[in-house]
Amino acid sequence: MTSTDVTTPALDLSHIDLHYGYVRALADIDFHVMPGEVVGLLGDNGAGKSTLLKVMSGAHRPSEGTIRVHGKEVSFHSPSDASEAGIQMVYQDLALVDAQDISTNLNIGREILRKGPLGWLGFVDTKAMRKRAESELDRLGVRTAPMTRPTEMLSGGQRQVVAVARSAIRVSGDANGVLLLDEPTAALGYEQTKLVEGLIRRMADQGIAIVIVTHNLPLCHEVADRVVILNRGRKVADVPMRGTDPDHIVGWITGARPSMFEDSAA
Amino acid sequence: MSTPVSDSASRGAPSSAAAADTVVPTGHDMPRGVAALVFLRDRGIFILWLLLILVFSFWCAPYFFTWSNAMLIANAAALTAIFAAGVGLGVMSGVLDLSLPGTAAFCACLTGWLAVNKGVSLWIALPIALVCGALIGVVNGLISLQGFNPIIVTIGTLSVLTGLASVITGGLTIPGLDGLTFMGTRRYFGVPAPVYIVAALYLVGTIFLTRTRDGIRFMAVGGNAEAVRRSGIHSDRYKVMGFVISGICAAIGGLVATAITTEANPDASPAIIFSALTAVALAGVAMSGGRGSLPRVLVGALILATIANGLIIRGVQTYWATVITGVLLLASLGLERFIQKSVSDRLMATSNLSVHQKKV
Repeated sequence: MTSTDVTTPALDLSHIDLHYGYVRALADIDFHVMPGEVVGLLGDNGAGKSTLLKVMSGAHRPSEGTIRVHGKEVSFHSPSDASEAGIQMVYQDLALVDAQDISTNLNIGREILRKGPLGWLGFVDTKAMRKRAESELDRLGVRTAPMTRPTEMLSGGQRQVVAVARSAIRVSGDANGVLLLDEPTAALGYEQTKLVEGLIRRMADQGIAIVIVTHNLPLCHEVADRVVILNRGRKVADVPMRGTDPDHIVGWITGARPSMFEDSAA
Repeated sequence: MSTPVSDSASRGAPSSAAAADTVVPTGHDMPRGVAALVFLRDRGIFILWLLLILVFSFWCAPYFFTWSNAMLIANAAALTAIFAAGVGLGVMSGVLDLSLPGTAAFCACLTGWLAVNKGVSLWIALPIALVCGALIGVVNGLISLQGFNPIIVTIGTLSVLTGLASVITGGLTIPGLDGLTFMGTRRYFGVPAPVYIVAALYLVGTIFLTRTRDGIRFMAVGGNAEAVRRSGIHSDRYKVMGFVISGICAAIGGLVATAITTEANPDASPAIIFSALTAVALAGVAMSGGRGSLPRVLVGALILATIANGLIIRGVQTYWATVITGVLLLASLGLERFIQKSVSDRLMATSNLSVHQKKV
């Protein structure tokens, strides 16, 4: 399905340090995610997982350390630098224009213009845009409502699906990108959580690298290939999800279990 | 889909199977009640107008339902409609421009001064006035982008422009603009000129909003500027565009008003912005932006004129027209709140509808 080189991480952070004044929010963090891999980023409140996510999305600049995208070193000065490099953060509340329909929301910023003179005047080809939005949602397996439905009339799960799909469409091109999700199933019911989980897996199967910040261990069980656990700004564990005792994970999150990386725990 | 997944090789399978089973909703999965309520919200104003016409047709027979009276109403609504287009388009993009009467007066006086005092041809003076309206919009927009409240900014520019209009004319009206009657009192095929202007303005505006890339983005910026910005679009440009469009509409309004009286009056009439706002609010254009449609705004302006006209024919004092308009406006707010609440209640009750549909 993907032509991406599977031995180079889609996103690779090494020796990331971040200071806020005297506070060391992130200390010597190594983190990577491969194309098609779902990595759960876990940690207690204040462990630094949201901060790390902001470093990846370009919202924060690390004090030290390097970031590589598909093996190429980059430096992000703003979130738009990151999105140009193919890294998209999914914002929950800010992602959709409520009054507009699904098709418009998925197509905004990359509208299809009509052919001929009308196109030169900026007329859009609504039909073609609906078709494209439809096929893109089909590809992700989440065509849940007609394209002409305003997003304000969708359920929470459908909205989240549209928001995630909107970012996914933007990173899945020739070079598969990275999708950053912050608590993607917060405030969703059971069925709707299943819908979003299914979407996350399908996106990964299509070669998109996905990082999920969450408190929700069952979600990680369902979708994550690997989990990285932070505790007070340090990485304390980096383990495959399968075959790892959930109690150990909880232990790492709470700090009851010593770090896997003895040197950094010292 | 709830099958616990074990390894990544098999993970694709259950999900793609589910995708194949998915019943793609055809658009009829929205509860019937919700569809009806949405119809009422979006089309209610047309029904209201038809009802008003029906009532007046019987109540004011045989004088109301005639071609000449229809033209009277259309002509009376024209000026309000032009300003309402400016206010409405601005509000849809999240901008409330109160300086419109000032812009109108300034542009009208500028045209009058150029044409009468400087002997400039109207064919040059009129475009200058329109460009001037656009420039005033740019200034309003650029000031507002600095993070100031647009309402206060435009109150400021309203004051500045009204003052400048008087400065241009020396505080007096500029009479003798007979060359403008072609867009004022002249009729073509029995239809007054301002009606053509309104029709053209609303046609172009509606096509712009619903069919063009910039129009769709313009609306989207009004709804959620942040989401649009994160799609890599300079949402600020569209905010300035809101002011520019408002300014151009105001310039057109000022010129039409001048053409009707054949004199340029430096006294801005802030009242016009309130009747325009009434039409916009009646049309259900959300003051928070991102919602609304121009045809509804036009009908809003027509409703105001229809009520006034019908009551005049019946010999009811015109004060009652404003009373009724006010009551209608308040009632429309109540109706909108009710619709919003019922829609969200109904959607809540069926929020899992399309998710469950797969299994049924």
